[in-house]
Amino acid sequence: MNVQRWMVAAGAVAAIAVLERAAPLVAHHATTAFYDASRKVEAQGTVTKFLFKNPHAFLYFNSTDGSGQTIEWQIELGSPLNLARTGWTPDTLKPGMDIKVAGQPSRAEGTHGICCATITRPDGSPVAPGARLQEEPRR
Amino acid sequence: MRRSISRITRGRRFSPAGCAVVLTVLAAGIPPAPTAQSAPPAGAVPDLAGIWDGTPKVRPPNSATIPWGKANFPEVNERALAYMKVFDEAVSPKYDCQPSTPPALEYDPYMMEIVQWPDRVLLRYEKDDQLRTVWLDGRRATVQDFGLQGFSVGRYETNALIVETDHFVFDITGFDDYNGIPSSQQKRVIERYWREGSELRATITVEDPMFLRKPASYTTRWVPAPSGYKLAAFDCDQESARASIKFLVPKYK
Repeated sequence: MNVQRWMVAAGAVAAIAVLERAAPLVAHHATTAFYDASRKVEAQGTVTKFLFKNPHAFLYFNSTDGSGQTIEWQIELGSPLNLARTGWTPDTLKPGMDIKVAGQPSRAEGTHGICCATITRPDGSPVAPGARLQEEPRR
Repeated sequence: MRRSISRITRGRRFSPAGCAVVLTVLAAGIPPAPTAQSAPPAGAVPDLAGIWDGTPKVRPPNSATIPWGKANFPEVNERALAYMKVFDEAVSPKYDCQPSTPPALEYDPYMMEIVQWPDRVLLRYEKDDQLRTVWLDGRRATVQDFGLQGFSVGRYETNALIVETDHFVFDITGFDDYNGIPSSQQKRVIERYWREGSELRATITVEDPMFLRKPASYTTRWVPAPSGYKLAAFDCDQESARASIKFLVPKYK
């Protein structure tokens, strides 16, 4: 059974620092209005869909919480045009693949979004040879 | 823009050297540039043609502080402040695939291509598949020419391309989509493109008396794209563009 774990990082991050750290990730919109850079979430589950379309790729996967409820996650990635320049393809993440994700949680109550994510196999190994695993600020 | 696209498909591509010769001839019918020379100096038409790399490996990606930072943040008027205060990220047109416009378009972190023809310069952006036509033949905009990317005319001046664009339509994020600064139909954008060694440089200046107290500008750079690179289709996807909106804490109910 997959386990969802939440970890809340201590301390607040200054607004400008958040903007500078988070905004470069997607370069289409600032992430701070959508995701909380002062917190971190980890989840493990199975890929259901990989939307490799501009302006942002999105990875969807399901995990199961401690009470057996299915959680549907949505991970925001960069644009496929820029992801492709670093080795990603539409087949990098396929439905049925087991993954582990860590990143910033979405802000709206009751939603399960993640950005700025690190994506690996459950044992921490790369999801695909040559593919970039970490979607994070580039400076 | 609509008219120019059909012309481009029929158009013939000229070399920059050829452009220089024809432009010298055309210059007789174009108002003189504000220089001390009576005739364009040798090399006055810079070779700007090619595909240029503006991706994050070349320059810091756009954000709430880039390219409009502490040093050059626009001095906005009370009207702009009112719009910024009520601005709701969820209504930003980009979440429905509406392309960005000058001065944001030039700083989007993607490739772009410049094509120099005798009577026009084509600015083709990988981001949102945008094409701007800069007319060099002396034509003027009409009321039919209002559009998202405005109407652009240009001239060569001391080894630089000067582009002047107006006839924009109102855009709620038309100055900057990271800070929610709008632009009006009175927006006017002046761009100066030149070569600095192998690099392309540009200074982008914006005037908009409806929202800015005075013009604001930034300067940026591109490097040549990797050899053989061709611009890719962006094909903005509406599901993808709007997929993250649910993660916003709603500003209005």
